[in-house]
Amino acid sequence: MDEQEESQPSAATEGIDGRVAEHQIREEGEQDVNGQTQARIESSPNFIGRHRMAAAMSHLHNQINIIQEELDLLETYGESSLVCKEVILSVESIPDPLLTETIGPVEISWDRWFKATNNSRSNKRWI
Amino acid sequence: MSVAEMRERHFVATETVDSLREQLRQRRLALLDTDISSYSRSQGRTPVSFGPTDLVCCRTLQGHTGKVYALDWTAEKNRIVSASQDGRLIVWNALTSQKTHAIRLPCAWVMSCAFSPTGQSVACGGLDSVCSIFNLNSPTDRDGNLPVSRMLSGHKGYVSSCQYVPDEDTHLITSSGDQTCVLWDITTGLRTSAFGGEFQSGHTGDVLSVSINGSNSRMFVSGSCDTTARLWDTRVASRAVRTFHGHEGDVNAVKFFPDGNRFGTGSDDGTCRLFDIRTGHQLQVYSQQHANNEIPHVTSIAFSISGRLLFAGYSNGDCCVWDTLLARVVLNLGSLQNSHEGQTRISCLGLSADGSALCTGSWDTNLKIWAFGGHRKVI
Repeated sequence: MDEQEESQPSAATEGIDGRVAEHQIREEGEQDVNGQTQARIESSPNFIGRHRMAAAMSHLHNQINIIQEELDLLETYGESSLVCKEVILSVESIPDPLLTETIGPVEISWDRWFKATNNSRSNKRWI
Repeated sequence: MSVAEMRERHFVATETVDSLREQLRQRRLALLDTDISSYSRSQGRTPVSFGPTDLVCCRTLQGHTGKVYALDWTAEKNRIVSASQDGRLIVWNALTSQKTHAIRLPCAWVMSCAFSPTGQSVACGGLDSVCSIFNLNSPTDRDGNLPVSRMLSGHKGYVSSCQYVPDEDTHLITSSGDQTCVLWDITTGLRTSAFGGEFQSGHTGDVLSVSINGSNSRMFVSGSCDTTARLWDTRVASRAVRTFHGHEGDVNAVKFFPDGNRFGTGSDDGTCRLFDIRTGHQLQVYSQQHANNEIPHVTSIAFSISGRLLFAGYSNGDCCVWDTLLARVVLNLGSLQNSHEGQTRISCLGLSADGSALCTGSWDTNLKIWAFGGHRKVI
């Protein structure tokens, strides 16, 4: 039986993680509940083609794998306090020209913004 | 399999994704035993303080006739390229305030610009969906214009941001309104890789910003209208290494933290956030109270060279200096003497390579250079 593909952009590959597809499927579900026939559904303008549905499923399975991997990895990570300690160590180990207090070494070139420029020196006239 | 069966499986899969996401969110929350400001306070750290003449505006770069949209410093000390609504790129020597190049763009609707690592080229992109490269040493044409030396075409939406891969003038990364980021080979003009897009697990909204890790140039971070930031490995284009949730609005700006293991974000939700790339933890939220529910958007961010300061430009003209460890605003450059015209949006900002100066760009058409002019204590 031929299936009509909807004319709007694929809900499966729209990046709303299948929610639009789900909404459209739910609409068809409601049609089912009202006892409409299969033929009626297949000619409904909201019907999603088999291929698009398969693409949506594949996308969702990818999402599931990705999230499951992250959940597994999360078990191996410590609490945020461990990371906060690293941040403080890193910040306090680098000399910073814009701070009132900083570790050294201090570079003389940091203050170049407040020195006379070459231009002004070259404007001097010798009599 | 019948269509009805497929539909059922699809429904179940969607429910599974939602449930797993919620599990992930809960598990992350349980691991956030502290944030950076609470931890820093517990370690006896006190906020950075500035006297009234410590951070000062020491240069105003005037020359654009339209809003400034983007700026970038050279990898050596003193030059800046800026992009403006006036359809031009200007290259400045920030120390002398002189303009060395004024480049009329083939498409005036520019959104982003970048200096190449050697300082010999500049790149820009915008509503034309193309990233254009200009070699600053090329001879100008008959009309005195610098010709485009390479056009990187292929995006199906505007180019929001571009950055050269450090240490080479041959590759750059763009972000786009077509929901993808692309790594380009400039010598051939071809795409090496596209990150996200149809059939891939990438952003689900316009990508607005990109930042390459200075410590490991294979890693970069992108920020998007889909409210997430994503970490990418340039060797793996098919999916992001990690997606960072938390913001409640467009992520307009992303920037790697100096140590390369964290990155900051700025958003339409008015907050900046700091994320850890290895664990995915959201380490800190930088947000202010606002009267009458008018929350200014964060347009741009930059870290000082140690990471102790986070500079954030806002749509209402504020340019807040955050103490990143204590999560306190220690200064607002927008309210200092010689600042940009009152309440005009700060659209871009960036730090010089040695960290001694901050440049801010504004819709008031000017760029300003800020540096530390006070007494420095070395500890």
